[in-house]
Amino acid sequence: MLVKINSAALLGLEAYEIEIEVDASRGLPGQTIVGLPDAAVKESRDRVKAAIENSGFEFPAGYFTINLAPADTKKEGPLYDLPIALGKLLVAEQITSQKLADHVVLGELSLDGTVRPINGILSICLSMLKTGKRKIIVPKENADEAALVEEIEVIPVTSLRESAEYLGGSREIKPHKVDIDSLFKVQDDFGIDFGDVKGQGHVKRALEVAAAGGHNVLLVGSPGSGKTMLARRLPTIFPPLLLAEALEVTRLYSIVGLLSGKAGLVTRRPMRSPHHTTSDVGIIGGGRIPRPGEVSLAHHGILFLDEFPEFDRKVLEVLRQPLEDGQVTISRAHSSLTYPAQFMLVAAMNPCPCGKLYDRKGACSCSPLQIQSYWKKLSGPLLDRIDIQLEVPRLKQDELMKMPQGESSQVIRERVIKARGTQADRFKGSNIFCNAKMSSRQIRQCCILDSEAQGLLKEAIVHLNLSARAYDKILKVSRTIADLDQAEIITASHIAEATQYRFLDRG
Amino acid sequence: MGMESYELGQSGEDLAASYLTKQGYHIIERNFRSRRGEIDLIAYDCDFLVFIEVKNYSGRSFSSPYVSIDQNKRASLIHAAKTYLLRKKIKNINCRFDALIIFRRQQGLAIVDLYKNAFTL
Repeated sequence: MLVKINSAALLGLEAYEIEIEVDASRGLPGQTIVGLPDAAVKESRDRVKAAIENSGFEFPAGYFTINLAPADTKKEGPLYDLPIALGKLLVAEQITSQKLADHVVLGELSLDGTVRPINGILSICLSMLKTGKRKIIVPKENADEAALVEEIEVIPVTSLRESAEYLGGSREIKPHKVDIDSLFKVQDDFGIDFGDVKGQGHVKRALEVAAAGGHNVLLVGSPGSGKTMLARRLPTIFPPLLLAEALEVTRLYSIVGLLSGKAGLVTRRPMRSPHHTTSDVGIIGGGRIPRPGEVSLAHHGILFLDEFPEFDRKVLEVLRQPLEDGQVTISRAHSSLTYPAQFMLVAAMNPCPCGKLYDRKGACSCSPLQIQSYWKKLSGPLLDRIDIQLEVPRLKQDELMKMPQGESSQVIRERVIKARGTQADRFKGSNIFCNAKMSSRQIRQCCILDSEAQGLLKEAIVHLNLSARAYDKILKVSRTIADLDQAEIITASHIAEATQYRFLDRG
Repeated sequence: MGMESYELGQSGEDLAASYLTKQGYHIIERNFRSRRGEIDLIAYDCDFLVFIEVKNYSGRSFSSPYVSIDQNKRASLIHAAKTYLLRKKIKNINCRFDALIIFRRQQGLAIVDLYKNAFTL
């Protein structure tokens, strides 16, 4: 007797269909799983046995051979417990089913026979669109996530017995539906607001420009000047995720298992702030079967690196490629996988090892050599990718004592959304969506200066000794500032503001 | 001690055999030996060919009888079972390993605990 059950396996972000074949032969009791199972798959044996017995079924006799086809790809994780258990019961004819052929079955089993949530459901459902299977049996906790793919009929189950009864036809389970719009409408309450920050008006403005144009930012300032506080409030002024973006982020979070316990859809832009001891593999992704790293988890969001020069040199250099390409390709002996990584980099650092370089004269105790070697950790190519470089001064006494004032995040956010809309119209049909990603040709096409602005830029180049690259950056940033102003032509004031954001060029 | 425990084992197996017969088992073999192990009782239970390990527990022994069928013991039982099936040319039948534990109380009194499908390959 042989039973076949459809299931799915994950490889990076993608999923593919597999078939679980369960065969029983008479003889000494036992089982073997073939088809390159990992330890978690092999351990299913004990979970399945306990779950079957505790669900009121009899553990079937005989020697079981379980094949996960295709046999040449590695199968990972506990997601095959449920199909294997059902397969054994079907082979032993404790249950029968006519529905197997058009269902995909997935789920981890607990010893008492309840079904536990698994990772990567969204990727699996999306992959089903290609194969033609339209029904999926998933753990109830994953139902919201699975139902994001509207074409798929999602059957949520809570236990082995329930799934057996559903397949046997003695129980009806209504397909699970979610209202994606209502998930999206949930009002963002971040609990923090730009209005909370005292002073630092120009930094807030610069962060608004950065958010509007997707420009990477470097904040340089003394300890306690509010760099971290400001950076943490950045998500509150970002435009909300589009549905397509939210799905991409949800897929990534689903495969690394960061989704469980939350609603099925990530509706908020991610902000990742890895500690500076994080390894290069942790940042970029990796492992025997590569998993997404911090740059991918910050996809469509913000990667905040506090204490920027404290990161390993290697870590900083691996950032260059994803900053350029918006994705990372990780190759390992087993496989080569690509994960998306379109994020905005926000880096924060002190001006010198002791942090007091910009405070009153004589406060800093660092030698010039120390300061030099501190800055040397940041390579030229890396700093080149950061459009906006800012000094964050320490608050003056009177600012410190005052109540915080300034615009709330909501007000800033509306301007940002408008500016992003302008950019979306401008780049319609091209593969970019914000000013920061403009190529030099697009810069020439899109950044049109009036004569006064040209004069000012010329002067800035001469006086500040700007490089060709810095020139491009100023144009890009001034384009964003003009967009925030809803201006077609870039004027002198836009150029003047953009020039201010080149702190390092001013030396 | 050696002779004593042999006798104890024998009387235990007698007790087990009569208990199992009452449970509907049909005993076909006692003390089957292979090179690596020994099976105390072999019996038919409905459609199953059952290999039974009988454990005596006097109450004085240090370890619990429930843990005494360890990996080594299982391996030797499995080896013996395979040898039995080969030697008797038995094919196409579902097999099972049961464990039967006898708790000795005072003279002549015993409590029997039967574990069906105690372990698998």
